Amino acid sequence: MAKQGWDEFEIGSLLRSFDGKIDKCPAHTPQRDRSYSENNSHVASVADWRLIKPVYNKDYCIDCQFCWVYCPDVSIISRDKKMIGIDMDHCKGCGICVEVCPTNPKSLLMFPEQADEETELASWPTKDEEEE
Amino acid sequence: MAFDKMELKDIEVWDGNHAAAQAMRQAQIDVVAAYPITPSTPIVEGYAKFKADNYVEGEFVMVESEHAAMSGCVGAAAAGGRVATATSSQGLALMAEVLYQASGMRLPIVLNLVNRALAAPLNVNGDHSDMYMVRDSGWIQFDAFSPQEAYDLNLIAFRVSEDHDVRIPAIINQDGFITSHTAQGVHTLSDDVAYNFVGEYKPMNDMLDFENPVTHGVQTEEDWHFEHKARQHNDMMTIVPGKIEEVFADFEKLTGRKYNKVECYDMNDADVAVVCMGTSVETAREVATEMRAKGIKAGVVGIRVFRPFPFFEIAEAIKDIKAVAVLDRCAPGGAAGTLFNEISGSLYNTDLKIALSGYIYGLGGRDLTKAHLVDLFNELQANADAGKVLTQQQQFIGVRGPKLAYL
Amino acid sequence: MSEMKKIKNLKEFSTSADRFEGANLLCPGCAHSIIVREVLNATNDDLVLASSTGCLEVCTAVYPYTSWDASWIHIGFENSSTAVAGAEAMYNALKTKGRLKQPDRTPKFVAFGGDGSSYDIGFQWISGCMERNHNMMYIVLDNEVYANTGGQRSSSTPIGASATTSPAGTISYGEQKNKKDMLGIMGAHNIPYAAQVSPNKWKDMVKKIQKGFATEGAVFINAVSPCTTEWKFDPKDTMHLADLSTDSLVFPLYEIIEGHELNITYRPKNIVPVEEYLAAQGRFKHLFKDQYKHVISEWQTRVDENWEYLQRREAARV
Repeated sequence: MAKQGWDEFEIGSLLRSFDGKIDKCPAHTPQRDRSYSENNSHVASVADWRLIKPVYNKDYCIDCQFCWVYCPDVSIISRDKKMIGIDMDHCKGCGICVEVCPTNPKSLLMFPEQADEETELASWPTKDEEEE
Repeated sequence: MAFDKMELKDIEVWDGNHAAAQAMRQAQIDVVAAYPITPSTPIVEGYAKFKADNYVEGEFVMVESEHAAMSGCVGAAAAGGRVATATSSQGLALMAEVLYQASGMRLPIVLNLVNRALAAPLNVNGDHSDMYMVRDSGWIQFDAFSPQEAYDLNLIAFRVSEDHDVRIPAIINQDGFITSHTAQGVHTLSDDVAYNFVGEYKPMNDMLDFENPVTHGVQTEEDWHFEHKARQHNDMMTIVPGKIEEVFADFEKLTGRKYNKVECYDMNDADVAVVCMGTSVETAREVATEMRAKGIKAGVVGIRVFRPFPFFEIAEAIKDIKAVAVLDRCAPGGAAGTLFNEISGSLYNTDLKIALSGYIYGLGGRDLTKAHLVDLFNELQANADAGKVLTQQQQFIGVRGPKLAYL
Repeated sequence: MSEMKKIKNLKEFSTSADRFEGANLLCPGCAHSIIVREVLNATNDDLVLASSTGCLEVCTAVYPYTSWDASWIHIGFENSSTAVAGAEAMYNALKTKGRLKQPDRTPKFVAFGGDGSSYDIGFQWISGCMERNHNMMYIVLDNEVYANTGGQRSSSTPIGASATTSPAGTISYGEQKNKKDMLGIMGAHNIPYAAQVSPNKWKDMVKKIQKGFATEGAVFINAVSPCTTEWKFDPKDTMHLADLSTDSLVFPLYEIIEGHELNITYRPKNIVPVEEYLAAQGRFKHLFKDQYKHVISEWQTRVDENWEYLQRREAARV
């Protein structure tokens, strides 16, 4: 789009959320089934904003959905009331999900962006360590 | 509840405000969001009464300021339907921010602007300060010289503005009080004929189309803004003029009343001419005819379409004229008059050598009398004979005290 | 009529299909988007949205990207309320005239604005919309400061906050004026429904938003929006700050129905001292110097008195 001339845009600097017509209200269509337009920020990434990243350990997760409701960036992927994982294209690394996680030890922890997920999962703190 | 049609006589005695309100009623507008201000108030009151008497099916929203009036109009237009309002002077100044939003978002809205001076000092009478203030706002601007034209141009404006190739809002100017409050005979169209001419509103990019969600009013910075503003200007320069001509032609076919972007009167063989807007055009025409009896071949050019400015039509209209006076009804604020500048711009790169002079007149409703125009035509004849402007380039007409002239 | 979305618990809420998208440009940890998500997910109906100029607007519609999956409009700093009112008027007109493209859809009209655009520059527009009782909801994302432009005071900025145009200094403790009682003022319009909400109390929020959506007429919502950037706290602590706001009663959660019936909707089990709320934020750091400590105790007195007032009003139904 960056190379397009002035005569190639829609008038009024209008943007469309979806590619083509949608036949029902998007509230009834999960994000994964939607046909987003190239102008929807859903197709963009803010992954490069992150200095730290959340790592999800499903072994301790109770699917309480606190992380889902309090995530500012629609980055907690929940399906059928279950926590599935994190959308790393949209996560800005704020760390709210970790703060609101009620399990002990936490099911989400922040690590440096470069950290290796497998390594961190392997050395996840135990309940006792958490309480120290 | 179905709304009622109104039976009109072929010729009704209407002032400019009522003529505009009647045209708005006949256009079957979906939403009018408005706020009263002298001298356009009777348009808003008239429309309110039509609504109260079941002649209007659409929504009428009386808001709390002119800024809100235009904000409501923008929201309504983006939602997808026919929208109009009216204002004057300070009201226009307050809504000016939103005028730029409306044109930038390419939303068709019709605004009746009953021209009035801008304070300070406070003044409720007619001049063109408000019209000029929003000249760069990206709106189409028509100018009505009489109640008949206020009526006709309203119907025309919806057609032009709402066309999908255009989608640019339009202002219809008329002089405060002299046009807006002076009743004259107005040839009417029946409700059905008028509505059929305007046509059904055809939505585009409408927020109420839930199958196609749209985002209006984005932010664009240095990487995108220029392209969108370029498109706006391009469409004003290349699409709107042709569309206006097309709708003028259709209107003539329907009514026999012919409109032109530049209205020429006795210009074919004229030596001298006055270019002006508003009710002054009619006064100037009368004086021009009288001057011909005195041996001065005088003509008058009225600007019907102020934006997009009819550069080529103006140049064509005055190309054989020896001396031309451009009349600006607005305090120039340290420059030449706006119309003077536009016309100079139209001529500068031509081979034409016209003695061009500018006059500031009629501020705050001060009369432009026939005597003023007789003197002016005589001055033009002297310029024509000398082949140059013998006076200073900018003069004031009709102001008390020592003569004012500059440049 | 549309059916109200059933949201019994958080698990059920989490099955919502968001209509607000990530990769917007809001700061990490911004409460605005948490509030917007809770609001939008409270209904499955179509939405017609507007935002006034401010953080939410400049971060969600920067060309060539939009973060909105419903029709949305921004005009200016002061008029998202009237933009939505205009759209609502158009909906009514087209409904009357039988020209709605999808006549079976029942959209909700919602306008968002920050406290700058709501308490200050857009105050009159909102008042007009409330007075005319448009069938719409206006939501303030109240972070008590002009955050988008870098932290200038608004009439929502509370006493003692250091903002860039009311900075704390050697002889000033920062903002000198108390926060405007916006909910009280809007309630005084005798609109069908006005309420204060906070994103940490998501259930209270959803209940109120649904109540608002089910209301015919104008609804005003004031949502506290802790601002990591201007309140100066770590982005991870946004919900902690929201908890402190509601539990210290600095932001009591209540609703006003038809201008007279006041209901307190959340009574903290353990009321947190105001001092704790203030201590968690950099904008109040200077208040802990000896010379300005009186501001803290005065604040506690004010919060106590307000809580007393709300409870009396709740009981009195006036």
